[in-house]
Amino acid sequence: MKRTPTAKASVDSGRRGLLAAAGAVTAATAMPSLASAQPKAVNVGVILPLSGANAQFGINSRNGIELVAEEINAAGGIKSLGGAKINLIVADGTSTPTTAANVAQRLITQNQCVAILGAFASSLTIAISEVTERRGIPLLTMSFADQITGRGFKNVFQVVSKASVIGRAQFDDAVAIAQAAGEKIERAAIMYEDTAYGTAQAKGLRAAAAEAGVELVMDDAYPLGITDVTPLISKLRGSGAQMVFPVSYLNDSLLLIRTMRQQRIDIPAVGGAAGYVIPDFVKGLGEYSEDILSISPASHDLAPELTDRFRAKYGYFMVHEALEHAVCMGVLAEAMEIAASAEPGKVRETLRSQRFDKGWSTAMTGAVRFDETGLNTLAKPVMVQWQKGELVTVWPKDLAKAPARWKNRTI
Amino acid sequence: MEILQALINGLLIGGVYAVVSIGLTLVFGVMSIINFAQAEFLMLGMFVAFFCWQYLGLDPLLGSLVAFAVVFVLGTFVQRILIERVLHAPEVAQIFLTVGLLIVLENAALIAFGSEFRSVRVPYQTWAVEFGGLIVGVPYLLAFTISLIAGASLWAFMRFTWIGQAMRATAQDPTAALSLGINAKLIRRIAFGLGVGMTALGGAVILPYFTASPTVGGQFVVLMFTAVVLGGLGNVLGAVIGGLTVGVIQTLSTLVLPIQLQNLVLFVVFILVLALRPEGLLRQK
Repeated sequence: MKRTPTAKASVDSGRRGLLAAAGAVTAATAMPSLASAQPKAVNVGVILPLSGANAQFGINSRNGIELVAEEINAAGGIKSLGGAKINLIVADGTSTPTTAANVAQRLITQNQCVAILGAFASSLTIAISEVTERRGIPLLTMSFADQITGRGFKNVFQVVSKASVIGRAQFDDAVAIAQAAGEKIERAAIMYEDTAYGTAQAKGLRAAAAEAGVELVMDDAYPLGITDVTPLISKLRGSGAQMVFPVSYLNDSLLLIRTMRQQRIDIPAVGGAAGYVIPDFVKGLGEYSEDILSISPASHDLAPELTDRFRAKYGYFMVHEALEHAVCMGVLAEAMEIAASAEPGKVRETLRSQRFDKGWSTAMTGAVRFDETGLNTLAKPVMVQWQKGELVTVWPKDLAKAPARWKNRTI
Repeated sequence: MEILQALINGLLIGGVYAVVSIGLTLVFGVMSIINFAQAEFLMLGMFVAFFCWQYLGLDPLLGSLVAFAVVFVLGTFVQRILIERVLHAPEVAQIFLTVGLLIVLENAALIAFGSEFRSVRVPYQTWAVEFGGLIVGVPYLLAFTISLIAGASLWAFMRFTWIGQAMRATAQDPTAALSLGINAKLIRRIAFGLGVGMTALGGAVILPYFTASPTVGGQFVVLMFTAVVLGGLGNVLGAVIGGLTVGVIQTLSTLVLPIQLQNLVLFVVFILVLALRPEGLLRQK
């Protein structure tokens, strides 16, 4: 009994060896003609939080990337590579940086990915970037954190502005809108959830306020799982602030706005992206979302001819994380097209040296151009506003799709 | 004035903590088992009321009755199938069972409902009543009122109905109750159902000002235990006073300290109570 399986195994392995050899010969002779007919697909790794607290954002992002890849494949793939198709390999980065880094490692060694896209949350992106830097694989991201392109890495590309720039724009654009409406801002309030995102953006707000000589009459952090914001809003009411900058995720943003309405506080609120620029915000607040402003690293209405395809396919407007991830995919495809290569080193050099202004690369501000740190120099945060249940770009003026509204007045 | 406003806010939110905690303390009182999964029934109550609102257009305050009924029935089954088996088991087994139940319920909800936050929309969400410079949010007021009615109904049920009296008898002495012809098993099923049902009702009435998600229980579990221990484990009136105290401490502390520290103050008080009055604020005779 004991001997038989061993003997069988050795026979098997012998047979397998023979088969493999025969296969290799056939493949080798068949290869040239096959290659011209059906070029090898290019593997692109996608790492996103598909489970856990950020799953919704991860799914939105994946939708954006898949839409672009499908469009490129349907239009004949990468032409300079003989029509090679894009093959997305999507992996769950969970909420743990270590897991995300391990996933990146696997995508590079097992799947030979030419580049990696992801990973929404800055903490995950930073962990992945250490792997991709070591292996010389381009990483394209829409995470905001300043340190992503602040460490001298050669293989990381950030298509959006940094968090500090976004925080500053949130403040400066809002003050500019007030000024255009004839109101001079002297006192403002900020309140933010106390995890990495809120804290970083509050820093940018604080710096901009100091520079503009605006007094911060309230500067309060609150815990993310807050159940009652009444004390915060009572404080806001007594502070004499002319406008308020809340930086929140969804639950807290709904609580803050509702409680403000309860206490009949009608000073303008200027949110810090995240909870303020997603469909759930208007679903939860209805008419009370009207006129609420928010900064956003990109907006779907700047390229409606592209983003309407997303709405048609998925049934909701193209939220900014989906849009920016779509741009990552578009830029990568365009770089491979120009380089006529799917070799990571060549793709990286093309990404660093060229300007990208075709297809989905145009969806944010018309084009993408990376500087030597990998930051997109053409990215620009915009101010968006809820008007009649739709999110509309209202500032800066040269990009605006509709005039901004300030205290029930159109300016 | 500021103190008065904070006091009112604290009492309103504390009323909800109270009704949520009554459930936990009731289960402990009747069965001497600590149900670590209690807050997950709050989550289930929220989802029942949310779906009633989404598909039937039922206001969450009315939906809270449906939430109570659905979770009550679920609770009687949980008691019969799971809890009953560990009643006389070592405490470790009881803890494992209820903590396991917590994990199963939370993850089942994640699979069934997805991870997104869900919020209802009702007209009174942004209403407030004003008197003498004090502002009281209508959703908080309504949640408090319903909690009050629910708490009072439970009290009357325990006091004046045969089942309620049987429940108290079973809590005091299961063997004696059995010898008097009380079906202790049935009584325990009703008690567990009532306990988790009350917590589910508390979850439903806060829907107008709180979003539902599968992990929402985690935000309430510690508050619930604090309220229950403050009032004395197993003491229903204690849970009410404990719940109100937790709410008031949370809001009063924000007058002098940043709102980030509201739970820190709460736990300092909690530890002091444990150290100085381990039997809870109400001494049970």
